[in-house]
Amino acid sequence: MIGLVVTLVLFPLAGWCLGRRGIGEAFLFGAGLVGALLFLAGVAHVPLVVALGLIGVWIVGSGLWELLRRSTRRPNPYPLLPTILMCLPLIALTFVAAITPLSDFDGRAFWVLKAKGIAQERAIDGPFFRGATLDPRNHYPILIPLDGAVIFGVAHDSDDRQLRWLYLGLLAAFALLVRERIGRMVSPTAGAWCAALLVWIPQFAVEPEGGALSAYSDIALAAFAAGAFFELVDAVAGSRGLAVSGCSAPSSPRDRAIRFGLWLAFLVLTKSEGLPFALIFLVIGAFVFRKRIVIPAITSVIAALALFVWRARIPAGDEEDILHKLPTIFRKLHHLGDALAAFPAHIFLFPRWGLFWIAVVIAAVLAWRVDRSGAKVAISVIIAMLAVYAGVYIATEWVASDLIAVTADRLLMHVIAPALFLLALGARAEKGERASSPAPDGRLARRWGRRRT
Amino acid sequence: MSERPVIPRIACALLFFSLAVTTLPRLVALVNNARTLLPLGYEARREKQMGPWYASVEALRRELPPHEQVALIASPRDVESAVFASYYLHPIRTRLFIGRDDYRNAAPDPMLPKTIVAVTADRVTQTTYDALRDRDLRTGHRVVGAPTLSEPRTTFILPIAASLDGPAPETFVIEATIVNPNRVPAELRATFWPKGLVRTITIAPGSTAKYYDLVHQLFGVLDRGWMHVDSPLPLRAAFYFVNRGHGDATLLPNIAGAATGLAAAPIYRDTKLFVINPAATPVTAVVGGVSFPFDPQAFVSWPVTNVPRVSGDVYAFVATREMNGRTDFLWPR
Repeated sequence: MIGLVVTLVLFPLAGWCLGRRGIGEAFLFGAGLVGALLFLAGVAHVPLVVALGLIGVWIVGSGLWELLRRSTRRPNPYPLLPTILMCLPLIALTFVAAITPLSDFDGRAFWVLKAKGIAQERAIDGPFFRGATLDPRNHYPILIPLDGAVIFGVAHDSDDRQLRWLYLGLLAAFALLVRERIGRMVSPTAGAWCAALLVWIPQFAVEPEGGALSAYSDIALAAFAAGAFFELVDAVAGSRGLAVSGCSAPSSPRDRAIRFGLWLAFLVLTKSEGLPFALIFLVIGAFVFRKRIVIPAITSVIAALALFVWRARIPAGDEEDILHKLPTIFRKLHHLGDALAAFPAHIFLFPRWGLFWIAVVIAAVLAWRVDRSGAKVAISVIIAMLAVYAGVYIATEWVASDLIAVTADRLLMHVIAPALFLLALGARAEKGERASSPAPDGRLARRWGRRRT
Repeated sequence: MSERPVIPRIACALLFFSLAVTTLPRLVALVNNARTLLPLGYEARREKQMGPWYASVEALRRELPPHEQVALIASPRDVESAVFASYYLHPIRTRLFIGRDDYRNAAPDPMLPKTIVAVTADRVTQTTYDALRDRDLRTGHRVVGAPTLSEPRTTFILPIAASLDGPAPETFVIEATIVNPNRVPAELRATFWPKGLVRTITIAPGSTAKYYDLVHQLFGVLDRGWMHVDSPLPLRAAFYFVNRGHGDATLLPNIAGAATGLAAAPIYRDTKLFVINPAATPVTAVVGGVSFPFDPQAFVSWPVTNVPRVSGDVYAFVATREMNGRTDFLWPR
């Protein structure tokens, strides 16, 4: 129960520290912020308890202040049916998470074990990470385990039942983020339906390896990637003079760049895939943010440096060092066929994805006609990230087909936000709205402008 | 409502249905499963999920010293179970060894955990290295399939009796076959020197007693020495010095007493001279021109680079390792 209270109070409050935002975004932002700050403190050898105390004071102070200071804007009127459909699986999953113990592989073998180790030693480079306990993937980034350690620490209980809410909360918050951002950028109806679709995707909702009932970090990574993606699309819309502000306070380009940078830092510190993801966002973001890309670049570099410094201090586990394997890629081109077929094979996997990815492909074509700039960003992110993952499949020392079988669906999770955005744009196109790309469509701009008011 | 285009709504409904058709039944199953678990306590729910394996982890967690690192030894196919054992034993620190060989090869490591936990997919138990070794040897195959039995004798000495491990795969044991050809039960008394451990066994008439690891099975120790065997009735026997790791075996002589006449012979690596004093009194022997006192029932060895001259009331022999790992013995004439 304490775990539930800590999860529901701490992370949203932390998210509101840097400005008023929807509760979903606040939860994700808070989870990222708390984990990232504790990680930096740990790397700097600031005692984690002291760091958490300071962060706690700051969170409660500024979070509450921000919450009370800003007038609460009326949320967008989301349609009832998709809202109910979104809530149904979340309620069912809440019931299940409250009762059933954790039973997935990676969650117990790596992620929650790390949280327990950190909570017990109150350090991120203590004996646990130096071989005192079997930790097969010692170099995995630990942002989410740090959040878990905070919950364990506050609850004074290292039982994984305390963390069930964190992982479920990440999915719920992700859905709310999607609803709010797509609702703001496309339409409340589109946002509500995209959120409903998200929580009904089997891979997110019920899949034992990687779903909301597991303790994998893939939903967190997907959610942070979504945060970064939406800032990027916001910036694209902003640069075209489109109004994109909804329930949040209007934000300056600088604030947007800072938020974008923080999301990238969270990506880097959440999973190993986060680093290439952040690089891709930085490259695409450079065309959008122009000079302001320096801000996200700095936050990403700080996060990456901290990660490398931390890794240098502790022994490696049995994880594969893909960076060192990349030069061998040309000797392994025989994996190319498997790698290229990996994602097409999995997007048609009906029990995991239904018709979702087929719909995304169709929507991408339609979206290109309604908002070429937004669609371009979304498609670029998806293709670039899947290309990186395909490259990893070529370079890996594992049997490529085995690795693909156990990871491809989880990697597809990471690009779900741009995919949902394409769906929303595609649905809009089907409603007969067209943009005369590349210039912003006047009608669309007027519609967005109207919605703002 | 009527102004809204139909195609996106149909497409959205189809897409949603394609997701719900998979998710909904699984969600219902998860909820039903949760309902069945609801009346149980949290630990009982875990037991229900993971079966007796989790119960064994729970029991072990109460037994193990909380502040001492433990070694988890699992076979390659049980590594997954070991990873989960590590998770549920936390905060007890764990170190994984894949197979017993992995553990014994780490013997020089001063941080090697002394407490051993054997992990399988069925259960997790605290155990000892000796027990794991015995389990492996028992389930493995004996090297000597058709032993060459001695003539019937009532008393004799085995010049070397050992149960020892070197770095993997070196595993030294004595494989023994003892036959009672008599019409009455035979009582055999074995004494393991220099420790002086004594065990008595009874062999039924016309029966055969077989040992895959004589020293450990009789005396429960991993050690080396020599053995005195006596029985009121004549028994036929065959004792082999076996390296299970290499699958080679050497038939040991059943000696009667002192002998020192070692002939010159080629020696290889790890060559050692062994001297035993089978008598119950101290003796003095000359080894390579130097006199040495030997305690009663002594068993002494030291490395040599050639076959030395030995004289005195002792039994001396040389063991040398061929390049292929096989152990050769030079017995005295």
